[in-house]
Amino acid sequence: MRSIARKQEAPNQGSSVRERLRAMDDSAVVTAFLGGEERAFSELVERYQTRLLNFIYRTIGDREKAEDLVQEVFIRVYRHLHRFDRSKKFSTWAYTIASNLAKNELRNRSRNPLVLMQTVQKNWQDDDRPLQFEDTTSRPDDMYRKRHLREIVEESVAKLPEHHRHVFVLRELEGKSYEEIAEITDCNLGTVKSRLNRARNSFAEIVAPYMD
Amino acid sequence: MLRPTWTKGYKIREPVPIKWVLVPGPLPLHMDCREFQENHFAFIDDTLSGIELVGMQRHIAECENCAKHDVTVRRSLLLFRNLPRIEPSAQFSERLNDRLRALRESETSSAFHHSGKFAAAVAVASVVMLGYIGSSLRDVDTPRDIVFPPVVANTPELEAVPLTMPAPALVASAAAGLPIWTAALYAERQPLHFVTADLQLAGSH
Repeated sequence: MRSIARKQEAPNQGSSVRERLRAMDDSAVVTAFLGGEERAFSELVERYQTRLLNFIYRTIGDREKAEDLVQEVFIRVYRHLHRFDRSKKFSTWAYTIASNLAKNELRNRSRNPLVLMQTVQKNWQDDDRPLQFEDTTSRPDDMYRKRHLREIVEESVAKLPEHHRHVFVLRELEGKSYEEIAEITDCNLGTVKSRLNRARNSFAEIVAPYMD
Repeated sequence: MLRPTWTKGYKIREPVPIKWVLVPGPLPLHMDCREFQENHFAFIDDTLSGIELVGMQRHIAECENCAKHDVTVRRSLLLFRNLPRIEPSAQFSERLNDRLRALRESETSSAFHHSGKFAAAVAVASVVMLGYIGSSLRDVDTPRDIVFPPVVANTPELEAVPLTMPAPALVASAAAGLPIWTAALYAERQPLHFVTADLQLAGSH
């Protein structure tokens, strides 16, 4: 009878652990994982997978590759979490890994222009993407205009120089502070501000003709 | 003039009179376009100080080009921020879990491999140590003849005491009236002493 009761309690215990992990901040989740709680890692994955995916996707412009790189980020986090300096923010560390992987990917592509061209064409010609930018109640010409505008915006981001794009995405998409961006990109604060200013101006210049 | 305020019988603290603070340097009445552009990122992020913010707002009101630029940047950023966010694919978690499992297994096997190597090293060291101890013990148990250096025995030469100096034992015995056996012993050995004393005297002459 007791064993049956225990079996019934086990899933409840699991769900309560997950709930407790969900209520914790990143630092506490990291501590729990290092203390042997394997489920804490799933919690970290759940928290960061979408954010990191979007960050890398907007940086390199290739969805499939972005997913591969996010996986690589988590593998590296898993392997090296015991060496992570817990006086710092976990998110900054995770984004730093992601940023370095994205930079490496762009560097590899620049060495192989064919791969870059294929990736860009694949993304541009992909008509299966969901029309999240559109309102389905709009007229077809409006929908077309909005889809076109979304493509223009995506292309405009891709046109920014790599180091400007990095800072731009971290600030505008991920809402990181200047200090965090400086840490992630390994630049000083002045450089971050200057790059952000230039990136915003360049982006506005590219997009401006399509906005009216 | 400031007067105390009364509310339902409670006295409220007198309001502090305003103190005018002089800001060092001129007020940013006229900001040029270059300065506006340099501070524009902070203006958008709303991280400017009050005085700088007033300066930027005043410049926008005066400069049509900068005002247009400000609107363009803000609208473009809004477009970017509203881009649809992508979600991980359905296979993402499964793939990640597979990779993590493989990683865990490889770590475990490598740890086992390392521990196996360590165990083998410990075993070899133990065997060597035991062999050494065993051989040492065997050496200890084996009866061995103790070899001492050869001893050369010879008769000590007799001390030659001159006749003129009586032996202190005899003198002490006589004065203190002690039993005579020491004197008897001395008398027994006396002829030998006499001969030695004669020989020494002959030698000196």
